[in-house]
Amino acid sequence: MAYISAASTISHQPTFRNAGFSNVIQPLQQGSVLISPDYKSFIEAGLLRRMSKILRMSVACSKDCIAQAGIDQPDAIIVGTGLGCLLDTEKFLNNSMTIEGLLPPTSFIQSTHNTMAGQISLSIGNHGYNMTHTQNTLSFEHAVQDGMLLLNEGEEHILVGAADEHIEILDEISEKLKINFETGLTSAASFFILSNAKSEATLAKIRDVRTIGLVTDVSAQIKAFLAENKIGPDGLDLVLFSGKPQDSAEISYSENKNSPIDFTGFSGVYPTSSAFALHFAIDKMGNNKTLKHILICNALNKSNLGLTLIESVEA
Amino acid sequence: MDTLKEDLKKQIIEQLNLEDITPSDIQDDSALFDDAGLGLDSIDALELIVLLEKYHGIQVTNPDEGKEAFKSVQTMADYIRKRKGDL
Repeated sequence: MAYISAASTISHQPTFRNAGFSNVIQPLQQGSVLISPDYKSFIEAGLLRRMSKILRMSVACSKDCIAQAGIDQPDAIIVGTGLGCLLDTEKFLNNSMTIEGLLPPTSFIQSTHNTMAGQISLSIGNHGYNMTHTQNTLSFEHAVQDGMLLLNEGEEHILVGAADEHIEILDEISEKLKINFETGLTSAASFFILSNAKSEATLAKIRDVRTIGLVTDVSAQIKAFLAENKIGPDGLDLVLFSGKPQDSAEISYSENKNSPIDFTGFSGVYPTSSAFALHFAIDKMGNNKTLKHILICNALNKSNLGLTLIESVEA
Repeated sequence: MDTLKEDLKKQIIEQLNLEDITPSDIQDDSALFDDAGLGLDSIDALELIVLLEKYHGIQVTNPDEGKEAFKSVQTMADYIRKRKGDL
């Protein structure tokens, strides 16, 4: 169990510093763009000038979370990312192919997946545990699991988040692979403070999170997960899903309540979009007190399954 | 006007992505690595080494030379002239 003390998302929706957004946002249309805050309010100019989109989003969300939770420092910083710092990777590779002689170092230094966690640490002066998880579409769930393990070991507040950024070549690649996404590929970052105790800042609870690789029977996995958490057939108030788990019967638990929602219709498609879903679920619980238990079923990649069970503060 | 120093200021702004800074904001003698000047850091120092090779064909192989050359735009211009004169 982890208590969520803060949540912050920058995405193609008006999510940043906008409590109640889940009630007003509309499904994304093709060609949507990232809605960025004024980053100068969060990041000093000397650092901002060399930060790519994914770094700006991550640092701004992290600082927003820390302010929301009213803490000085998290005990750890854990980031999940599916594809990492693509803009800097692309820039570095282009440089290496076109420049003869010395290569500019910045894009190389900032092309590694752990740059987000590192820049967050540098920006807030944090010397705690610093970890990056990258396991395709389950990167965020693994980051949450890591955070919950640390809470079990006695840490108080953990900054956990996820970020991915879109670059144009992803569209070309998906076209060549004949993969069509209705909402398009997007960029976003979502960060949270997970705490070991309830407080006035608590927004919701993560009761459990599980990842299953090379999944064969999605339905059985979900049923087992819910049974272990003592959630009966009527226990779920809402299911947020990605991918196509609705092809089988595993999300039928919510049939008598709210219709399952494909959250990628709101977030767009990126490997760690289940982090958007977590913020979406928390925000929905804040708006609607009848929502006690929400399941996030992340089947964006059909061979990976991520399950996150969220419980309201009141439950 | 010393065109080398003006060119250097433009190149520094572009290479280091110095947003909101124009060449006229950079004084010839202001310290590049001092908060009272541009407040550059160690990554910027590496970028300046790349800049000298990219725009002026000069390789900085002696770290002590670089330390002295990168004090200000003036010292960078002096260093470039000295190296080119040496060739």
